[in-house]
Amino acid sequence: MADNTAKPLIETTGLVKKFGSFTALNGVDLKVYPGEVHALLGDNGAGKSTLIKILSGVFKPTAGEIRVEGKPVSFTSPRDATEAGIGTVYQDLALNALTSVTRNFFLGREITHFPGPFGVMKMREMDEIATREMAKIGINVADPNQAVGTMSGGQRQTLAIARAIYFGAKVLILDEPTSALGQKQQMEVLKTIRKVQKLGDIAIILITHNEIHARLIADRFTFLSLGEVIGQGASKDLEGDDIKRLMAGGAEIGDLAKELAV
Amino acid sequence: MNQTASSRQESDRLASKGWLKSLLARPEIGPIGVMLLLFGMLGYFSIPAGEFSLNPFAGEGFNALGIRNNLRVIAQLGIIALGAGLLIIAGEFDLSIGSMIGFAGACMAMVLRWGFAIVIPYVSFEGGVHIEFFTLIYIENVSPIGAIMITMCFTLFFGWLQGYIVVRSGLPSFIVTLGGLFFLRGLTEVSLRAFNHRPDQTKGATTVTELPDMKNIINVPGHGEIEREAAKALPEADLQAILQTVPADTVASITERLAYTYQRVADAKTEIMAAKGVKPLERALENAIESGNETMVATIREKIANFTVTPVTPRTVTDLDVVRTYIDSIPSAQPVANFFGGDILEPIFDFLYFPVDWNTNNFGNQFAPGLYSCVMIWLILALLCYVVLSRTQAGNWIYSTGGNLQAAKANGVPTDRVKISLFVFSAFCATIFATCQVFEVNTADAAKGNLKELEAIAAAVIGGIVMTGGFGTVMGIIVGAFIFGIAKEAFFYIPGIDGSFYRVFLGLVIIASALLNENIRKRIMGTL
Ligand SMILES: Nc1ncnc2c1ncn2[C@@H]1O[C@H](COP(=O)(O)OP(=O)(O)OP(=O)(O)O)[C@@H](O)[C@H]1O
Ligand SMILES: [Mg+2]
Repeated sequence: MADNTAKPLIETTGLVKKFGSFTALNGVDLKVYPGEVHALLGDNGAGKSTLIKILSGVFKPTAGEIRVEGKPVSFTSPRDATEAGIGTVYQDLALNALTSVTRNFFLGREITHFPGPFGVMKMREMDEIATREMAKIGINVADPNQAVGTMSGGQRQTLAIARAIYFGAKVLILDEPTSALGQKQQMEVLKTIRKVQKLGDIAIILITHNEIHARLIADRFTFLSLGEVIGQGASKDLEGDDIKRLMAGGAEIGDLAKELAV
Repeated sequence: MNQTASSRQESDRLASKGWLKSLLARPEIGPIGVMLLLFGMLGYFSIPAGEFSLNPFAGEGFNALGIRNNLRVIAQLGIIALGAGLLIIAGEFDLSIGSMIGFAGACMAMVLRWGFAIVIPYVSFEGGVHIEFFTLIYIENVSPIGAIMITMCFTLFFGWLQGYIVVRSGLPSFIVTLGGLFFLRGLTEVSLRAFNHRPDQTKGATTVTELPDMKNIINVPGHGEIEREAAKALPEADLQAILQTVPADTVASITERLAYTYQRVADAKTEIMAAKGVKPLERALENAIESGNETMVATIREKIANFTVTPVTPRTVTDLDVVRTYIDSIPSAQPVANFFGGDILEPIFDFLYFPVDWNTNNFGNQFAPGLYSCVMIWLILALLCYVVLSRTQAGNWIYSTGGNLQAAKANGVPTDRVKISLFVFSAFCATIFATCQVFEVNTADAAKGNLKELEAIAAAVIGGIVMTGGFGTVMGIIVGAFIFGIAKEAFFYIPGIDGSFYRVFLGLVIIASALLNENIRKRIMGTL
């Protein structure tokens, strides 16, 4: 698994993001290694989504540097990030519920008979690839023409992940992939993440508010609070209470318990 | 049979959905039902009084002329419904379609009538401050294709501008195109009045009339390009001279056809006379039966049985008839005007008259010359739209732009370009509509296209397009145009009912369709 001699796939140094006078991120350093699940934890509004939006090219950082495989990069659009190998699965999954699995899988990157937007799509080939890629990480779609709206939340999550991987994601960013799901489907998603991890060379950044999930599959943790990193480390180095405390933004659990008791 | 939970696959769950349910989930199924109902109504109610038939195609709604006229209405609406429908699928509206039709028609007719000029106004200080005009270019005679291109430059630019404003400002397209609706209609009226101030024009008119009948300009040997009607009215000697240029076998076939026509006309006259002559006798017979006068009944019966009229003798085919018919058959010298305003399938409609004798009116003449060309243009456009929407990358982009804009953006779909292109396409469809109209009737009127934008949207909704976007098919839009176009005709033939009931009917259909569409959408979204 993670050994620190390996080169980080993605590395940020001193990342700052300001929205007007509001500082959402204040100098964030992050190292994510291949084959590792890196949990990004923190309270609401800590800046987790902001951080990954910078990594996926939605926002431009106010200051700081991003390196992908050692090379400094500067994204002007999500497309740039995708091309650099950063695949993001958004909280809303970026799926069009009204169309089919295949059409969603290839949305924006359709395989066509000839180039240009009026190129006729190779529907059969696309169907086959979508079905195969989803099966790889654990879901058999009954019919690739099924509308995404009729799929379960877990299945949708898998579709979004399979899509990101197929299109060359070396770093997979998952923003609260289990937040809207029931117990069984949460487990499905965790299994999917495990399967992706076992593929070997893909790094996963996982945002979650669920301590148990984080503990189950994360190899490394970064804790954010009010836009700053308040703790970082490999899972084996962290005590159970550390995680709880840092997730809540650094307050002592004991203090919290006292406050609640009042 | 007894599958355990672990061996059950996702595919087993979907299979139980059944073909009936998946058929009912097809978005076109409801509209197709309504369309068939209307076709049935049109057929049965238009069967002439006193006749009986189980075949709806025996009705007047489905005779040759009925088909020609109904398909024109449907096709015209169908053309703009394609533009409106695709735009709604991408999540936007265009309320300016009707005004765009008026504007495009007026622009095209003005260019055809008075030419095209680029004029630069400037302020002159010589002899008091006033505005002078500098004419940069002036083309007096613009060909049909030229006029269409010039008009397209304006309308496509307006379409682009509306789209640009919508995507840039984030304003609802409803408001932006509502502005377009007033702006374009006003601009059309103002320009028509401005051009109609010449001495040879009715001052203040908002129409363009007296355009030449472009599609009927033909090349007549020895006379060059002239209008068909003018050619037929040439002096007899000229016509004889033209006849000399016609090959013998053409003359023979025209003669044969004319002889057939004259025979059919004569037969029709004989029939009408016979019916007229027998009528008083039949009335007398009824009276006699009522009064119980047996001998009277017998004599009248005999009279009716022996009633004959001398058959009308058909006209003889003259040289002049032949040459005029020949002139009718000369193809247009203006293929562009003919493409938009002419007729199609003429050989088939000729064949259906002679020898088939179906395309024949009550007086024995040919009923319909063919179908309006706009039907073909509609079908070509519909086919293109179908391929683009259902088969191409652009189609997937259109669906996703309307279905989930954020998702489309996140996946790198150029949603702004998709939307702007569809605003341009909507303007394109309106211009095609106007082009067909201008070349069919050779006039333009600032009031043309009024309310068409709402009809187009209604047709799209009836055809299964969901107003919130992301859902619908080209097949549905076609069916919607059929329903909207045919409803008026179908209600027209219902005996003893106010014709305006078709609007009541359409109103209900629109609401029912919208409910049905929403239901289907929810079923697909899995929320039902
Ligand atoms: N576009 C924006 N403009 C201004 N402020 C923003 C913007 N996006 C985020 N913020 C602010 O930045 C802070 C961090 O937001 P962010 O969405 O990154 O939090 P988060 O850690 O993802 O929280 P959650 O766990 O609730 O998802 C918040 O205070 C938020 O209000
Ligand atoms: Mg967030």
